[in-house]
Amino acid sequence: MIVLLTILLCAGILISGLLAVLLDNIISAVISSGLASLFASVVYVVLAAPDVAMTEASIGSGLSTMIFLYAIRKTRNGNES
Amino acid sequence: MVDIVLDIAFVLIFLGMVFGIIRFVIGPEIVDRVVAIDLLTIIAIAVIALLAHVADRFIYLDVALVYGLLSFLGVLAVARYLEKGF
Repeated sequence: MIVLLTILLCAGILISGLLAVLLDNIISAVISSGLASLFASVVYVVLAAPDVAMTEASIGSGLSTMIFLYAIRKTRNGNES
Repeated sequence: MVDIVLDIAFVLIFLGMVFGIIRFVIGPEIVDRVVAIDLLTIIAIAVIALLAHVADRFIYLDVALVYGLLSFLGVLAVARYLEKGF
């Protein structure tokens, strides 16, 4: 059961990474990179590294999304997509 | 009895994650993807709690706690961006 769940999590990392590259809308691409970080954090827990998972959850999924959105707002001057 | 309940929980979490990923992939709007990533975050917390029981290491529950405290920040940032541009 854990093996099937791990395979699904790794497939989720692959799918969200592909979506982060291929999507046209830039906000959707940022959300996709956050989703890849989320799946990677759960895979770290499966690999018995809870401290790495905690750091990945706080920085990769929370902080980097906010910093990306702030940078998009600062550089694009309001007009998105 | 406990094994049967754990197997049922694994199957349900598996199906929920599959449907969440499908919703994320085919979601045409940004809002669909934001809701899908919120759903997948809650499912990930459930996965971590279940792994803490299966592996019998309760330090994993701290990871789930930190995740539950910090996971709404990304959704909140995207919602604020969509509403009035950060």
